[in-house]
Amino acid sequence: MTRETERPRNTFCGRTRREFLWEAGGAFTSVALAGMLANDDFLAAQTVAADGATAWKNPLAAKPPHFDGPAKSVIFLFMYGGPSQVDTFDYKPDLYPLDGKTIEIATKGRGGTRNQGRVVGPKWKFKQYGECGKWVSDLFPNLGGCVDDIAFIHSMTADAPLHGSAMLQMNSGRILSGSPALGSWVNYGLGTENENLPGFVVMLDPTGGPISGAKNWSSGYMPASYQGTVIRSSGTPILALDPPPGMSRQAQRRLLDRLREYNEEHAEPRSENSELAARIASYELAYRMQQHAPEAVDLSGESEETRRLYGLDQDRTKDFGRRCLLARRLVERGVRFIQVYSGGNHNDHNWDAHGDLVKNHEYHAGGTDQPIAGLLRDLKQRGLLDSTLVIWGGEFGRQPTAEYAEGTGRDHNAYGFTMWMAGGGIKGGVSVGETDELGNRAEVDRFHVKNLHATILQQLGLDPNALSYFHAGLDQKLVGVEGAEPIHQIVA
Amino acid sequence: MRFSGRGMIARSMPPSAQRTRPVARSGAAAALALLTAASAGAQTAQTPADGIKLFEENVRPVLERNCFMCHSDPERAENGLLLTTRAGLLRGGERGPAISTSEPVLSLLLHAVEYEDEQLQMPPSGRLADADLDAIRQWIQLGAPFGGDEDELTEVAPAGDEYEITDADRAWWSVRPLERPDVPAVADAEWPLNPIDNFLLARIEAAGLEPPPAADRRTLIRRASYDLTGLPPTLADVEAFERDQRPDAWERLIDRLLASPHYGERWGRHWLDLVRYAETDGYERDRKKPSAWRYRDWVIDALNADMPYDEFLTHQLAGDELDEPTTASIVATGYLRLGIWDDEPTDTELAQYDDLDSVLDTTSRVMLGMSIGCARCHNHRGDPIPQTDYYRMLSFFRGIAPYKVGGGNQPTPRNYTDWIPANLGDAGVSSLPADWGPANLIQVLRVKEIGPEAPPTHVLIRGNPHAPAERVEPGFPLILGDGDPGLEPAAADSPTTGRRHALARWIADKGNLRTSRVMANRLWQYHFGRGLSPTPNDLGRFGEPATHPDLLDWLATEFTERDWSLKSMHRLMMTSRAYRMSSRPPDGALEADPGNDLFSRFNMRRLTAEEIRDSVLAASGRLNLELGGPSVYPPMPEEVLATASRPDAAWGEATTEQASRRSVYIHVKRSLLHPLLESLDMADTDSTCPVRFTTTQPTQALMMLNGEFMSEQAAALAASVDGAGGALEDRVSGALEAVLARRARPVEVARGVGLIEELRREEGFDSSAAFASYSLLLLNLNEFAYLD
Repeated sequence: MTRETERPRNTFCGRTRREFLWEAGGAFTSVALAGMLANDDFLAAQTVAADGATAWKNPLAAKPPHFDGPAKSVIFLFMYGGPSQVDTFDYKPDLYPLDGKTIEIATKGRGGTRNQGRVVGPKWKFKQYGECGKWVSDLFPNLGGCVDDIAFIHSMTADAPLHGSAMLQMNSGRILSGSPALGSWVNYGLGTENENLPGFVVMLDPTGGPISGAKNWSSGYMPASYQGTVIRSSGTPILALDPPPGMSRQAQRRLLDRLREYNEEHAEPRSENSELAARIASYELAYRMQQHAPEAVDLSGESEETRRLYGLDQDRTKDFGRRCLLARRLVERGVRFIQVYSGGNHNDHNWDAHGDLVKNHEYHAGGTDQPIAGLLRDLKQRGLLDSTLVIWGGEFGRQPTAEYAEGTGRDHNAYGFTMWMAGGGIKGGVSVGETDELGNRAEVDRFHVKNLHATILQQLGLDPNALSYFHAGLDQKLVGVEGAEPIHQIVA
Repeated sequence: MRFSGRGMIARSMPPSAQRTRPVARSGAAAALALLTAASAGAQTAQTPADGIKLFEENVRPVLERNCFMCHSDPERAENGLLLTTRAGLLRGGERGPAISTSEPVLSLLLHAVEYEDEQLQMPPSGRLADADLDAIRQWIQLGAPFGGDEDELTEVAPAGDEYEITDADRAWWSVRPLERPDVPAVADAEWPLNPIDNFLLARIEAAGLEPPPAADRRTLIRRASYDLTGLPPTLADVEAFERDQRPDAWERLIDRLLASPHYGERWGRHWLDLVRYAETDGYERDRKKPSAWRYRDWVIDALNADMPYDEFLTHQLAGDELDEPTTASIVATGYLRLGIWDDEPTDTELAQYDDLDSVLDTTSRVMLGMSIGCARCHNHRGDPIPQTDYYRMLSFFRGIAPYKVGGGNQPTPRNYTDWIPANLGDAGVSSLPADWGPANLIQVLRVKEIGPEAPPTHVLIRGNPHAPAERVEPGFPLILGDGDPGLEPAAADSPTTGRRHALARWIADKGNLRTSRVMANRLWQYHFGRGLSPTPNDLGRFGEPATHPDLLDWLATEFTERDWSLKSMHRLMMTSRAYRMSSRPPDGALEADPGNDLFSRFNMRRLTAEEIRDSVLAASGRLNLELGGPSVYPPMPEEVLATASRPDAAWGEATTEQASRRSVYIHVKRSLLHPLLESLDMADTDSTCPVRFTTTQPTQALMMLNGEFMSEQAAALAASVDGAGGALEDRVSGALEAVLARRARPVEVARGVGLIEELRREEGFDSSAAFASYSLLLLNLNEFAYLD
């Protein structure tokens, strides 16, 4: 046993003190470009920290994982608002005959804590699909064909039955805001493989962002380098990517060349300050981004067959389909973490079916079923599914009972809901965990959001209980200081 | 000093780990004596029985004191490493076995405690005493015997059961009694202009270095102007200062800048970073906090008036509990209402504790440089702060009326807002619009309490409000003296308990071991680019020690002797020779002092987000220097609005004049931050920000090149210079002078002219577009964005 092999892969702080100081902006500052500087031999001699000795490290440079993980990228299909489990993937035959009956049942949601409620029977029939014989509701006829690639987790639990805090928990692990998002953690842990594109991308619904907006992809207490970048699926993909009107690419090149002349003159007597070189390089990188980002979101090279696969040929599916297809293109280009929102804004603009369940879920499932199935099939046929972890779910699920005296609307339910994962080393055709016979509370093999997060990190080769970031006197972890186990039952 | 927390810890430990036999920490001295003997005769002490004796007497107490807090609970041992059984040591944690029986000297446990590997140092609170290391080393050599079976659990005395502050704790640099250190002598006695220079030069000389020469006058006026006002000097300012031959030209400049109302805007922003200032609640509705901007204006006004720092703190903590509260002092208590608030928490009681935690955590980090918040669930793992200290400190805030009473998502505004007379007392706020509310009342965001009595405060097991343990009373942290708060029951008709005032009196007392040190360190940080301790919110063991603790203590004593005057401290620091040093490293400095730990040259810095935006506006001539008032809503790109859950209702509107106001007046909405400021590393709005990141990213370059705001300002700059007419060379010079506040060199003019002509000739730009492009280039210069 040598010292080399004993060297810990994580440390007390998860980082060395020196890194901590850089990132705390103490004596030094961190620069997101030094890796590029080194790669390009671009003022390479200056890629040294302000201390004149330590090599600069690009916080986003690709980093080795803790161990070999099958997944290289994540696509998180976020069903914002909370889809109803008993109407989608959690088949509860006993619930149908109870429709309209008032029963004793403990629930907690937007309407508060209740001890009885009127059952709303599932509004769709279920059919068995695939070799595994998975029961799937008629909301997802296309996705039904993919069940042999999917692992369903029926016993998810979260801490908050209200959107604000539940969204934050699903996205950052904590119900209080201020912590980095899952995508920030992944980029912090693994870096990015394509410096011409952001490593953490978010695509929103045309009706608007989720509540709390950018808090859902914020890097919290980590530097801004790790925050999510919103990419638009049409028009200019990234904020301020297009040169101002009248400024051609060639004209901008001329401007940048002169800018660089001024800046190099300025940097020459200040050669010990590598930030200056990094800032010069950042303009070159921005110029390259302008070239590569539009290409990444340009679907003109996609075949008719592919477009149909994602539902781009139909009005109801073309919008979400476009974002799913973009997600695949970003995966192909090395983007680590892509979050695609189904639903935005408030109420029925997302899956938050408080009023008319049928209308709401028909609309949102109808818009996403074909695109998601298309995404899974496309990833698979291109050999990308093994290295791409696809996650589906909302911030919570819904109750088996009605929220109001009239109608089919269901209230929030954080005590039992369904999520699923596919690809990235996840077993297909399995279902783990169970809710009670009414689909209300997780009873068998309960899993918490933390376990989901732990599974995601593990599949990427990151140890969820070791990946830490020193902040406010504590080794902060996505899964909390007390740690969490991945969901081993679904790992291939 | 002992503090009994018996009962609460026992309940939080798993039954298997509960104490069965007390092990007194005070036995350490005896053990040490014994160990010395054992070491002396180490060659003879080699029997298993000796090993067990060594364990019982010299090793176990060390493990208990330093390791068991994280490595004794089988359910949640850090890294899976359990140190309470021999089997646990052999099995080890995620890094592998903790001990090697075949090669004891290579044991990982030794490796960790020896503190030689920066990657692995245990315990995190600091290296063990040599004697303790010797004992562990010797014990491992003897096979690390525990006595009994391999799996038998060693009895674990619950950490913190009898909490004791040790002499070592009291010797920590930032809690030692504050004494005025002697000013060190230096070889080059001519160099120092004030004692700050002696402290720095003594260390620079000891390293065999010489300090750099003074920076040139243009560099100095730029440095001082940004430092004190966050705004650039004009070319005329620069040239007047360059011409000023009076011996006190520098002092006059500093006095002029300190007297500027923009001083408060710049230094107020530092304070707003610290107190996580924002004007909304966060969460689903991200509601606007009513009149939060008055607190921002209060901070700016107080700093401009050079309000003594003790008063500055007291008003924020307890401005309503003063003998004679004023409108301004009540506005100051908005400090206690700045945090995030969940308007529909799952667990209302927990949410109320979260709100108080946010106040306590911010207060202790910002005012005391202490991470008391770490002791919410368990004793602090680095500093001598037992969990009971957390709750005793929390109880000072327990009387505060909660944000929300009852169910639903409606907050309870009467608990945190008020309408009060605009000129209550000698308020200094008479400039506020008298017609703001009915009958000269103004709306304020403020603290309120539920009455003269606070609810009881209990220690909460693992921070869980549903698992209360023993009751505690208000008290100060043990390590800072545990003084008597001197609380008396409030009068029956009192609106508050008076507790916060007691806390404020203690924090703002000249004798407080931390308050003056913490602020002196911050003042240094904002002037010199890095704190004497680089972790200004934590002067404890998880922070970084001061590079010049003697200088810090000297500054801290100076601060109280100058009656807490910030402006006096600015003057002191800025009139040192050290502040006027060039940022060019002298020969040998990079090699001998690579991290500039010695301050052997001035630290270059990039402008902050606000400084960049404000400077762009200053260069374009659009900057609106109006002071104070409600926040403004400069146009937000449509792409950014689309990220809000209600894009159409997310943001307000502003006239061009309002949109050109200084950045400190931009509305701070937690879920929708200004994209340019956010990209340039503005402070996080949810927790206290002691030091800003400085990142360099391509997305910043995109915004600076392509953003609509930048295009508009470049066009405005071009119009102001271009419109003046004259030769192209003169106009190019004029634009450069407006941006950089210096005369253009011929080569620079030629380059600018070259670009403009190229754009016209090759790209078909008309002359105004070409000139605007050149103006945009200037606003992107490193020289513009960086200070020497």
